[in-house]
Amino acid sequence: MSERNSVEETADSASATTDGRTDSRSDLLRVRDLSTRFFTEEGQVNAVESVSFDVRDGEILGIVGESGSGKSVTALSLIDLVESPGRVTSGQVWYRNPDLAEEFPDAADGEFVDLRELPTRVRRTLRGPSFSMIFQDPMSSFNPSITVGEQIAEAVEVQRRANANPRSTRSRTQGYGLGRFILDGVVPNRDYTDPESSRRAVELLEQVGIPDPEQRADEYPHQFSGGMLQRAMIAQALAGEPDVLIADEPTTALDVTIQAQILNLLRDLQDERNMSIVMITHDLGVIARMCDRVCVMYAGEVVERGTLADVFDRPVHPYTEGLLGSIPDLDDPAPRLQPIEGNVPSLLDSEMGDRCYFADRCPKAMSECLTHPPEFDAAGSEEHRARCVLADHDYDPSEALPEDFFGGGSPAETGVTSTDQQAEDGATSEVSQDD
Amino acid sequence: MTDPLVRVEDLRKYYFEQDTLVDRMLGREQQSVKAVDGVSFDIHRGETLGLVGESGCGKSTTGETLLALREATGGSVGFDGTDVFGMGRAELKSFRRRAQVVFQDPFSSLDPRLTVGDIIGEPLLIHGQSDSAGRRERAKELLERVGLSAGQVDRYPHEFSGGQRQRVGIARALALEPEFVVLDEPVSALDVSVQAQVLNLLEDLQEEFGLTYLFIAHDLSVVRHICDRVAVMYLGEIVEIGTTDDIFDDPQHPYTQALLDSVPRAATSEHGRRVDALAGDVPSPRNPPQGCHFHTRCPHAREACRAEPPAYDVSEGHEAACFRLDDDHAYWESDPIAQNATGEDTSEHAPESTSEAD
Amino acid sequence: MVSPRTVRNLKREWRDNWLAKVGVVLVVAMVLVAVFAPFIAPYNPRSQSLDDNRLPPMGFSKTENQTSSEFVDGEAQVVSEEVTINATWDHPLGTNQLGQDMLSRVIYGARTSLLVGFFGTLFAMLIGVPIGLVAGYSRGRVDDALMRFADVMLAFPSLVLAVALVGLWGRATFRIPDPFVALGLAPGMPGSVVIPGTVIAVVALVTWVWFARVARGEALSVREEEYVKAARSLGASDRFVVWKHVLPNSLTPILVLGTIQIAAIILLESALSFLGFSGTTLSWGFDIAQGRDDLATAWWVATIPGLAIVLTVIGINLVGDWLRDALDPGLGGEGGSGA
Repeated sequence: MSERNSVEETADSASATTDGRTDSRSDLLRVRDLSTRFFTEEGQVNAVESVSFDVRDGEILGIVGESGSGKSVTALSLIDLVESPGRVTSGQVWYRNPDLAEEFPDAADGEFVDLRELPTRVRRTLRGPSFSMIFQDPMSSFNPSITVGEQIAEAVEVQRRANANPRSTRSRTQGYGLGRFILDGVVPNRDYTDPESSRRAVELLEQVGIPDPEQRADEYPHQFSGGMLQRAMIAQALAGEPDVLIADEPTTALDVTIQAQILNLLRDLQDERNMSIVMITHDLGVIARMCDRVCVMYAGEVVERGTLADVFDRPVHPYTEGLLGSIPDLDDPAPRLQPIEGNVPSLLDSEMGDRCYFADRCPKAMSECLTHPPEFDAAGSEEHRARCVLADHDYDPSEALPEDFFGGGSPAETGVTSTDQQAEDGATSEVSQDD
Repeated sequence: MTDPLVRVEDLRKYYFEQDTLVDRMLGREQQSVKAVDGVSFDIHRGETLGLVGESGCGKSTTGETLLALREATGGSVGFDGTDVFGMGRAELKSFRRRAQVVFQDPFSSLDPRLTVGDIIGEPLLIHGQSDSAGRRERAKELLERVGLSAGQVDRYPHEFSGGQRQRVGIARALALEPEFVVLDEPVSALDVSVQAQVLNLLEDLQEEFGLTYLFIAHDLSVVRHICDRVAVMYLGEIVEIGTTDDIFDDPQHPYTQALLDSVPRAATSEHGRRVDALAGDVPSPRNPPQGCHFHTRCPHAREACRAEPPAYDVSEGHEAACFRLDDDHAYWESDPIAQNATGEDTSEHAPESTSEAD
Repeated sequence: MVSPRTVRNLKREWRDNWLAKVGVVLVVAMVLVAVFAPFIAPYNPRSQSLDDNRLPPMGFSKTENQTSSEFVDGEAQVVSEEVTINATWDHPLGTNQLGQDMLSRVIYGARTSLLVGFFGTLFAMLIGVPIGLVAGYSRGRVDDALMRFADVMLAFPSLVLAVALVGLWGRATFRIPDPFVALGLAPGMPGSVVIPGTVIAVVALVTWVWFARVARGEALSVREEEYVKAARSLGASDRFVVWKHVLPNSLTPILVLGTIQIAAIILLESALSFLGFSGTTLSWGFDIAQGRDDLATAWWVATIPGLAIVLTVIGINLVGDWLRDALDPGLGGEGGSGA
């Protein structure tokens, strides 16, 4: 399929979402065949493999997967924050922005520009006003020795400079040259922020529901609780009034009652500002509550995507089914869970082979699964797709692979060493913890 | 009903801060953190009691204190009729044989410098089995029993994934054929698909060996799945205890209700559901609110809640500590407490908890 | 106990870090020299030859006023004439005031330095590590008391403390026969190795505190690991836990500190010898002290042993850095000084 074609796919197929609010929204981001690899000592790690999805105006898109599935790296790849030894190796990220399209016709296709074709400096100026990100662990995202208010004011400051100088190719920290650096060194405590930014920071803190924002702005991160700090991080992310907020496991480190607060806040903010949110989590419950459309990731690939109802009520890929079967239902405790056997695979290129990456754990693996499947259209809404032959035709037991085809033995035998996992988690160095 | 295997009565565990020699010399006052503040429950043979609560509520401390891994500040624990805190050396050693624990973090719970064979054989070594070939055989047996293969006996922990390590931790706990196992968030660090494997394994083992579990968790759906009875903790106290169905279908304490309401369900019906989230943070256990600890966040709080509520019987075996269960209580006449947005009674913004409190 | 990952890290650091190679070469060379001193040294380092005093090392020469008495016209006259003395291959590093061969002395000095460095560190570890582990593992009062004591120890300059202790105890030494000489393989060499016992004891006593602090810091963190909790829940005694879990998992930074301490102790030994508190005259520090007064006329007597000290200390520190980087990248500078 040519790139041109995929970009021209229309986005009016969102009719089947559950609450009907998502009708006829247009695409804001079109990710096509995005691949990110890590070049480690053990070898090449295919953290993100040919991933495609769209993000629409004012929707919440969920990306769900287990640790090492590549969901966090996908997010980082979107906003060009993948760090060495990782690199985005191919694919396009089309972002709808007529101004940029006009300015960079080479990278443009209609109103869309391919972010990967833009100069690095321009891409960097987009972080904040176009994209911003919140992370799992707010404690390590703040500098412990600077007050929360000042850190948010800094973000505001940076945005104001960018706005005063819109879309220029100048770095937005340009005002901060060597002279300034030396001056700051000589005269410590010389704030980088002015009173107006500080006022705006307090305003932002108030908007994210932090009580006594004026007083709390002068406090240090360690004086905040986890939930409050997560709010502060959201405030910081909002400083640039982004079009897309990428939330990477935003509630994973929080208790359920606090999680409920944060999820409510995110939904309110999204409604108010009509921004889009990309919600990355391993918690299917959070996905169900928040997201309009869902991508399920496994071993670096999007194995199934569609509306919430497509994925939760009509799953096609056995991995999606397995994931749903693995969680105990709070309202109807099943007598026995149906786990997926085996372990998350290694993403080392040398060990991946050219087959469906899930075949070794799949209860319905057939001989054709030994060739890597393309994305098929699946039943349900028009945008329901699955990277599984079962979307195309039914399971045929006579084609089934013998039980011990992949070395068999005990179910939990295939070993994943911790070094692999570190490589998988690579850029973020956050191992997802409990929910 | 027969006597319970474990009987915990009024268990207390306080930590003291500013307690060093220097602090004393400077005349600083000791500050206490009431991690566990008067907790009582029974665990019957063969059942699984769930202990749920948010971080910092003292559930893990309860587990460790009742195993005498931490020195209790007060209260008593009876194990099979014997007072655990009054045990002598020999008695304590035999208690250690019978009561085991599985920890949350599969990365830190296994010594990285030992092979899994040595790790699983360690309890046998401690309890006097000096024959190393025998220990190795037993380790292989146990590896197979928990779904790993005997051939992995000489591997090191870092060669295993999280779920596999947790299986090794379970094998170690089973080595001495215990009767009682404290499972301290055994699946919290695992991915959901692996989590389900381990939960199934735990259920099988319980059936096979007639084990009694104390299952400590913050994930309510896991608790609902595996537990027979559940105790809900908040700031060092049990606010509600009852059978799993009692707690999940008919929660009485406003905290239990809020907790259950907050959990996101993995179903399409969950979409867009708006939770009336509890306001504010969990107050610091250094300075817990007077009376009902929950009154600073409770949507039903009234002036009467500044006094400590007793545990009211809801039904047979179902108790909750809330004045609302007493139809004649002065609570109903008292004035509502205005909830400020933080849900904090005092103006002090303490961080949620100390690391030790949970 | 050495995991494959450790080996891999060691290899990687070895490959990427040429300084590590320099360090290892220096240290290995120094150890070989010390062990096989009787074969390598051209002379007995103690044998004097006053005629050949203060010969310069190769590549250098010196001029000297030679005086002689002559009878001129029946009167005795003192004649002074300037002669140039060239270095000879007989004494490639020259000789000292007593005409002892500097090369032989430096080679034998390595024995003293390495012995004191090794055993001093070993004893310091044996004292410090158990104390630190017990303090860190038990915490509470024991820890408080031990660590306050350690702070007091650290507050004293170690050299002052060492001098005071040697002054108090005298300069006891042990002599063990040199096996090569005893077997008749190296005739004419000194028959015994002198081990400066007091010096070893003293350097151990003034440096154990470092080991105690690092061991305590490690124990503090290891005791919080869940495998320690698990072992206790299995009924393991504290001794078992410390021996089986806490010690092995604390060892890496202790060993790294050990290598660095060897270098520090060698310096301390030299300083003590220089001040005249050593039990042996075959020591780099002693030679430096000997050469101090002659710096103007025979600079090499003090400089050559000084160079030997510098090379050894550099070598050991490079090895220590290599181990630190390879075994524990997180251990920067002064590791694990507990709060």
